[in-house]
Amino acid sequence: MLGRLYNWREAALVSPAMSKRSPLRALLSLLVLVALVAAACSSDSDSSDGAAGTGTAPEDGGTLTLYTGRGEDLMQPVIEAFEEATGITVDVRYGGTAELALLIQAEGDRSPADVFLSQSPGAVGFLAGEGMLAQIDEDVANLVEERFRNDDRRWVGITGRIRTLVYNTELVDPADLPASVFDLADPEFASRLGVAPTNGSFQDWVTALSALAGEDATLEFLTALADAGAPTYPKNGPIVEAVGRGEIPFGLVNHYYAHILKAENPDLPVENYIFPDADLGALLLTTSASIVAPTNNADLANRFIEFLLGDEAQRIFAADEFEYPLAKGQVPVIDLPPLGEIDLPAYDLEELGGGLARTQELIDESGVAGV
Amino acid sequence: MVVVAVLVAVVFAAPLGYLVARTATTDLDHGALITSERTLRPLARTLGLATGVALAASVLGTSIAWITTRTDLPFRRAVRVVATMPLVIPSFVGSFALLAALGPHGVLSDVPLVGSLPRPTGFFGALGVLTLLTYPYVLLPVAARLRALPASLEEGARLLGRGPWRVFATVVIPQIRAAIMAGALLVFLYVVSDFGAVSMLRYRTLSVTIFENRLVNQPVSLTLGLLLGLIAVAVVAAERWLVRRDPLPPSMSSSQPVEVRLGRWKVVAGGAMGAVIVAALVVPISALATWAWRGLTTDVVHIGIDDLSLAALARPSWNSASVSLIAAIVAVGLLWPLAFLTTRSHSRIGSAAGIMVTSGFALPGLVIALSLVFWALQSDLIAPFYQTMPLLVLGYVVHFGAQALQAANVAVGAVPRRFDDAARLLGASRARRLLTVDLPLMLPGLAAGAGLVLLSAMKELPATLLLAPTGFDTLATRIWSAAEDGFLAEAGLASMVLVAVSSVLTWLLVIRRADRLA
Repeated sequence: MLGRLYNWREAALVSPAMSKRSPLRALLSLLVLVALVAAACSSDSDSSDGAAGTGTAPEDGGTLTLYTGRGEDLMQPVIEAFEEATGITVDVRYGGTAELALLIQAEGDRSPADVFLSQSPGAVGFLAGEGMLAQIDEDVANLVEERFRNDDRRWVGITGRIRTLVYNTELVDPADLPASVFDLADPEFASRLGVAPTNGSFQDWVTALSALAGEDATLEFLTALADAGAPTYPKNGPIVEAVGRGEIPFGLVNHYYAHILKAENPDLPVENYIFPDADLGALLLTTSASIVAPTNNADLANRFIEFLLGDEAQRIFAADEFEYPLAKGQVPVIDLPPLGEIDLPAYDLEELGGGLARTQELIDESGVAGV
Repeated sequence: MVVVAVLVAVVFAAPLGYLVARTATTDLDHGALITSERTLRPLARTLGLATGVALAASVLGTSIAWITTRTDLPFRRAVRVVATMPLVIPSFVGSFALLAALGPHGVLSDVPLVGSLPRPTGFFGALGVLTLLTYPYVLLPVAARLRALPASLEEGARLLGRGPWRVFATVVIPQIRAAIMAGALLVFLYVVSDFGAVSMLRYRTLSVTIFENRLVNQPVSLTLGLLLGLIAVAVVAAERWLVRRDPLPPSMSSSQPVEVRLGRWKVVAGGAMGAVIVAALVVPISALATWAWRGLTTDVVHIGIDDLSLAALARPSWNSASVSLIAAIVAVGLLWPLAFLTTRSHSRIGSAAGIMVTSGFALPGLVIALSLVFWALQSDLIAPFYQTMPLLVLGYVVHFGAQALQAANVAVGAVPRRFDDAARLLGASRARRLLTVDLPLMLPGLAAGAGLVLLSAMKELPATLLLAPTGFDTLATRIWSAAEDGFLAEAGLASMVLVAVSSVLTWLLVIRRADRLA
């Protein structure tokens, strides 16, 4: 009986599946894994020491923690310039603007963040409403025109993005483009107009639209887009790509995507059209900087924001990202029309934060976001 | 053991507990919200899509498994290895690339046949793309199971005059049903939690609604997240109940499996395998390669392009691989005792803990991350670990533990109890039996489970962004940040590196051991 049981086991151990993988070899593989993990752990602690330690900075200027919704490719050069100029080390966390705002809310009093860079006014309004933003020093805030900053100094604009109609130059004659964004409700346009109704900048724009033109007109406009079957995209970038490959003739986006894509692919047949005469289609949205309330680093935070509004940083934002530098006296460096020459609609960006929940309802109700 | 189960259940209950705690404190008419059309329509889409993808992936995964293990198709081993690879493509990358590749104006529009495929959007687009990305979850366990089945039953049926098709339907299917269901459950939960693919493909499921309301209407977002979690618990519990009635018989087969001669069907089967591989791998990877190539060869002065090089991706690659490996080992180490408890001892506490573990796979990564932030900062004991490696690892384990648990259940269930009995009869102590009898036999299956967790962690994005130590970048975060800023070349290059690194790891950890996954 015992012998038979033993044979059972032996038969199993020499079965085809097992013959190549004896227990010994399996244990050896486990050991190798453990060794790998140990190596990983030690190297991780090395690298984090290097990042957090202040020994690598030219002078010990302290450490600043930055949460930024602006991407790494766009921020890294500016951060490096700041570290070099001041000796302050910046610990950076990259993420989606909305996600980082939620993270700061969840962290509350224990938030390690000192500065929050937002891609959208909505997220800043949310955090201001949660009482999570401190006041920026007056002389720092004053580097920016009043219309591009918060009256209570909870945020200051760093760069601006203009809502535009991007169009395919092979499919569309610019002379045929409408004078007002509301003309796009015509099914002739609307059925071929790319929109990104789930994207923050479209939602910010809709919020402004309903504040300035009224909720009824806004809902009517969105419903017209929905009824005409306006093609929807998750974000601005894919709209400009779709326009570029001729899938749709035009789309509502922020101005800089066309410039970025053309830098990678100069033959891309896309151009921006900025709605004239202070039309609501040409709204300027700010990316902004704020100080997170629980910080005990307010001095460094103010210095960092001041640096973002300085010549060097503003020039990087303008040259590499094709955005409008918002510090007083700055001009766009590429072939963008200067802000002074654009007839922008007057809208107080402060109002954006509060209206977003209603905007989401309007977008849902209109059906423009599709099924 | 029971203590371990309770502990595991508590840890894995963190996301649901967070949703309950946050939802309870909002003044929102939860009943009205859940029964409103705003909720029910996306909910119906989620359930319809998840069911559809689970069914389609079951059929596709089982077919590929059968063709590559039981027929005389040429190069079947190579096909089986390559057909597993879609597992390594993150859903946001896969759908982004397929969208860009297909359609009349896509990157591949000049390629014959492929160029005439429509752009994948809406329900059928999402169904197609998600099926192509998830069928390996079914293929792996079913192929392993098929190879382990004793040949005697099938030979008997053939001798009694049944054709190959009827043998498959009446003899093989009942024996692999549990493996199909285990895979289909993972697919179902993957689709429920997915946001990357459905948002790109413009199909508004409940996860999209949760995402849209996350900032502007938080109570709505939280309540719907809880709803999603409860649905997952119900589905997992139902699956458990079905599998319990249909237990997996332990198998340690030593005979060669029955092989079917395809004859002239070889062309059809080969063509079908080719089509799946082209759609799931060749098409998306071609789009990524086109971007990367254009970026590497175009001479433009631009900030994102300046650092376009493989060397810049070395550190993120190492970060991705090492933290994912740690998460995989922790997940298996934590969940193996639980599998032992459920599968060997049929403990109820074990089953309940198992349901908790599995539900974590159905929640969006953002919810998992925020729940860990919430709990970690509640107590001074855990707070020092905030935004350190251990908490990130815990996030991955909570999110993807389900895959390790499924594999561990199978690994434990496949080892016949009689070995343990025999060792006990010979006087071996409990610890010695575990270490010298059970563990060595289960190890390959456990390693395969670890491989699945590792791959999922490699491509995880939302939780990584929030929980990782500051300054810790992974390949997934690089791809996201490049794509977010519109730098397609860099996104394409980083995606290709992610796919390459993951493929090597899949080969080492999953495929070579996949035969133990059922």
